Amino acid sequence: MFEKMRVKTKVIDSGKSGLDTQTLEVNVGPQHPSTHGVFRMTIVLDGEVVKSLRPVMGYLHRNHEQIAENITYSASMPYTDRLDYFNSMSNNQAWAMTVEQLAEVEIPDRAEYIRVIMSELTRLVNHVSVIGFLLNDMGAFFTPTLFAFREREKVLDVFEAVSGSRMMCNYLRFGGVNRDLTDDQLGQIKKIVADFPAFLDEFETLLAQNEIVCMRCQNVGVLPAELAINASITGPMLRASGVNYDIRKVDQYSVYDRFEFKIPLGEKGDVYDRYYVRMLEMRESLKILNQALEQIEPGPFMAPKVPACLKNPRNFKPPVGEAYGRVEAPKGELGFYVVSDGSKEPWRYHVRAPSFINLTVLEAMCIGYKLADAIVILGSIDIVLGEVDR
Amino acid sequence: MDQMFVNIKAALVGLSDKVFPDWVGVLVSIAVSIVAIALLGPLIMMYLTLIERKVVARMQNRIGPNRVGKYGLLQPLADGVKMLIKEDIVPRNADKVLHLLAPILIVAPALLVFAVLPFGRNMTAVDLNVGILFFAAISSIGTIGIFMAAWGSNNKFSVLGGMRSVAQMISYEIPMVMSVVPVLLAVGSLSTNAIVEAQADWHWFVFTPWGFLGCVIFFLCGVAECNRSPFDLAEAESEIIAGFHTEYSGMKFALFYMAEFMSAFTISGMTTTLFLGGWQGPLLPSWLWFFLKTYGLIFIMLWFRATLPRLRVDQLMALAWKFLLPLSLVNIVATCIWHFLSDEAFFTPAAFLVPLALLVFSYWGLMKLNQPYMPEKRVYPLVD
Amino acid sequence: MPQLEFLIKCGVYGLMGLGIIAAVGAVLLPNLFHAGLALAFVLVTIAGIFMSVGAEFLGMVQILLYVGGVMTLIIYTIMLTGRLGAKDVRAQNRQGIFAAIAAGFFVCWIGPLILKTGAWPQRESDSAPPLLSVEDLGMSLMTEYVFPFEVLGVLLFAVLIGAIVIARQDRPS
Repeated sequence: MFEKMRVKTKVIDSGKSGLDTQTLEVNVGPQHPSTHGVFRMTIVLDGEVVKSLRPVMGYLHRNHEQIAENITYSASMPYTDRLDYFNSMSNNQAWAMTVEQLAEVEIPDRAEYIRVIMSELTRLVNHVSVIGFLLNDMGAFFTPTLFAFREREKVLDVFEAVSGSRMMCNYLRFGGVNRDLTDDQLGQIKKIVADFPAFLDEFETLLAQNEIVCMRCQNVGVLPAELAINASITGPMLRASGVNYDIRKVDQYSVYDRFEFKIPLGEKGDVYDRYYVRMLEMRESLKILNQALEQIEPGPFMAPKVPACLKNPRNFKPPVGEAYGRVEAPKGELGFYVVSDGSKEPWRYHVRAPSFINLTVLEAMCIGYKLADAIVILGSIDIVLGEVDR
Repeated sequence: MDQMFVNIKAALVGLSDKVFPDWVGVLVSIAVSIVAIALLGPLIMMYLTLIERKVVARMQNRIGPNRVGKYGLLQPLADGVKMLIKEDIVPRNADKVLHLLAPILIVAPALLVFAVLPFGRNMTAVDLNVGILFFAAISSIGTIGIFMAAWGSNNKFSVLGGMRSVAQMISYEIPMVMSVVPVLLAVGSLSTNAIVEAQADWHWFVFTPWGFLGCVIFFLCGVAECNRSPFDLAEAESEIIAGFHTEYSGMKFALFYMAEFMSAFTISGMTTTLFLGGWQGPLLPSWLWFFLKTYGLIFIMLWFRATLPRLRVDQLMALAWKFLLPLSLVNIVATCIWHFLSDEAFFTPAAFLVPLALLVFSYWGLMKLNQPYMPEKRVYPLVD
Repeated sequence: MPQLEFLIKCGVYGLMGLGIIAAVGAVLLPNLFHAGLALAFVLVTIAGIFMSVGAEFLGMVQILLYVGGVMTLIIYTIMLTGRLGAKDVRAQNRQGIFAAIAAGFFVCWIGPLILKTGAWPQRESDSAPPLLSVEDLGMSLMTEYVFPFEVLGVLLFAVLIGAIVIARQDRPS
C-alpha cells in the first residue's frame, strides 16, 4: 500500500489534443481547515482533478505506544482517552478488555451494562459529529455541525456527571468501572435516548434528500467491497461498502449477545452510503441503549477483589503471555495488542487504530475526482488525528 | 419624510450658494453624494457582518455576538479596530505591488456601483442614462482585482481560487446580463430611475412570468457573482482555505470582506430595482421601502449560507451554461411576446398566459435535456 | 461655468496621460502579467475618455467587453500558460525594430487626421444631445448594418463551436 502511495505522478498524459498541460502539486495541510487536525495530503492536480494523493501522517505523533511500555498497565488508561478523543469511553473499553483477558478477570453484569451504555452513547456522539463535519466539509457553514453539537453536549453532560470529565473520561477500570451510575444519571440517559430519535428525524429531513448533498455524495469516492476487505477497512466504512462485519456481532463481546439489533449495510460504498449508514447505525445504537437501560440491574460495579490487579493496580504484574482485545469502536475495529513479560510494564504494546488503517485507501478513493471531492471523501472516512498518529 | 435626504442635500447646496460662486455649488452637490456613498458603503458592510452573524447564529441554535454594546451593536466597530491593528503580512515571494493594489481594486468597483442605485425617490447619486450597463461593466472589473490578488500572493491555493472565481464570474455574468434584457425591453431605457418609475402602481416586474424568472436568474447569478454560498467555491474555506485572499491579513483582508458584503448589498439592491419595484411602495417613505426589500433579499442570501452545502466546480458551470443561460434567452423571447400581446396594459390574461406557457415548457424541456442529477433512492438492508 | 470646464479638462488630460503611461507600460513591462494589467488599465482610461465626450454607452460597452471579457480571458490565459505561481513570464520577444516600423507607418497614417481635427473639446457636442443614442445605435445595427452584424454573429458562433470542439478533445472518451 505504502509503496504505491509514494509513486509521484511526474508527467500526466495530456490526451489526444496534444495540448501541453501542467500539473499542480498542492499541499493540503498540515494547517488546513478541513484536514481534521494536522493531517497533510500532497495532492497532484490536473486542473481540479486529483491525479495522485499522498497522505503524510505523523504531525501529532506523541509516542503513545512507547510511553505505555514504560508505565504500569493501569496508568495507560488515561492515555487511551487521548487516542480518539471523541470516543474515550470505547477506547477505555478496548484497553480494559485486553488487560482483563490477560489477567483473566471476570466482570460483574452491571459493569458490563454500564460499559455498553457508555460505548453506545459514544457512538452517538461520534456519528452525529462526523456527519456534521462531513456536511461542513461540503460547505454547509457549520449549521449541521452545530445541530449535531447540541445533541453531543447532552451526552457529554452525562459523561461529565459519571466520570468528572467531558472528553477525557478515564472512566473504566480493569474489572469494572470507576464509579457506579446513580438513578439520576440513568434517568438523564433515558431522557437523551428518548429524545434522540426526534433529533435524528430532523437531521435527516433537513439534509439527507437535499439535491446538492446527493450530487456531492452519491457515486463519489466509491470503495469497492473487495478493496475494502483487502485493505482491512473496518467500521461503518466497511459496512457502507456492503460487507457485513461488526465485531459486536462477530465476537459477541461484553453483553452484546443479549440485545436485539441489526447491522445496516450500504449499497455502493460511496460517500453517501458512508453518511447514511452512520445515520442508521445511530438508530440501532438507540435500540441497544433502550434494551440495556431496561435490563440493567443493581449490583456490584467492580469485580470482587480477587486478582492481584484489582487489589493493588500500581503493582499489578500480569502473568507472562499476550492478549489482543478488540471492540467495535465508532470508527472501526479498535484493538490493543499487549505482551506481558511478568513485570509491571507491558513488554510490547500496540494499538490497532481504525482511523489510521481506514485512511490507507484514501488515494484509491480520490483519484479521478475533483479536489473538492477529495476533501469530502476524507471527511467521510472519519479520522481523528490523535488516533492516526498516536 | 420621503424626501428627507434630498432636502438635506438641497439645503447644503443652498448654503454654499449663498457664500461661494455657483460653480462651487455643483462641486458641493457632487461631494455630498460622494461622501454619502463613501460612508454608506462601509457602514452597510459593517452592519451586514453583524446581521449575518446574528441571523446565521439564530439558525444554528446560537445567540451570536452580544458582548460588545447592547445586542452586540458595537461588534462591527470592535472588529474594525481588531482588523486595523493586526499585523499586515506580505509573503516574501509575493508580487508586492499587485498584492497591495488588489484589495483596493476590488473595493473600488463594489463602491462605485452604489452610484447608480436608486435608494429612493430622487435619491440616485448619478442618474446615468446607461445605469444598468454601468452596473454590469463596473462589477466585471472586480475580476481583475481577484486576478491580481491570486497572482500577487504567489500561493497555489490563491491561484486555484482565483481561477475558479474568474471562471465563475465570467460564466455567471452572461445569464445575469441576459436576465436584465427583458426589463430593458419592457422599460425601453437603461436608466435605473426610469426602470423604477416604470414599475409604479404595483406594476412590479416580478409579478409577470418573465419578470419572476428574470428575478430568480438575476438573483442567483448575483449570488454567484459575489461569491456567496452555495456558489462560494472561490473562497471555499474547506477546500482551498480562502482562495484568492488566503495570503491577506489585517485591513487588506477586511477590504476583501468589505467588497464581498457591499456586492451582496448592491446585488440585492439591483434585484429590488429591476424586478421588485425599487423604492415603490405604499405608506412608508420610498427609501425605507428600498431598504426593506433589499434586506429581505439579503436575508435570503444568509439563509442560503446557513443551510446549503456548496456546489462542485463542474456542477456550478453546468448550471450556468446549460440551464440559466438558455432559460434567460427564452425569457427574452417571452418578454417580446408579452410586450406585443399586452398592448401597453400591465396585465391581460393572454399576455400573462402565453409567456408563462412558453417558459414552463422550456423549463421542462431544459430539465429533460440536461437530465439534472436526481437523488438516488437507496435501500439499506438491515442484517444480523 | 468655465471653472468646472477647466476641472473637467484637467481630468480628461490626466486620464489621457495615465492612459499613455499605461500603454507604454503594456509594451515595455518585462512581466507578461503586469503588461496585461497595464493593457486593461489603458482600456479603462479609453472608456473614461469616451464617457467624457458624452459617449457613455460606448464607454460602458468598452469596459464590459474589453476589460470584463477580453482582458480577463487574456490574463486568464497568461496565468494558465505560465508556470503557476512563478514570476518569470517574460514579455519581450526581440521584435522591437519591426514594431517600431509598424508604429511609424501607423503614425504617418493617423497623424494628418489628428492635425485636421480642431481644438478639443468640440463646442457643438457639449450642448447638443449625443449624436448617437442607444436607440439609434440599435436601429442602425438592425437596418443599415444588418449584414455585417449577422456576419459577425455567424463568425462568433463558429468560434464558439470551435472552442467546444477543442475543449471536448481533451476528455478521454
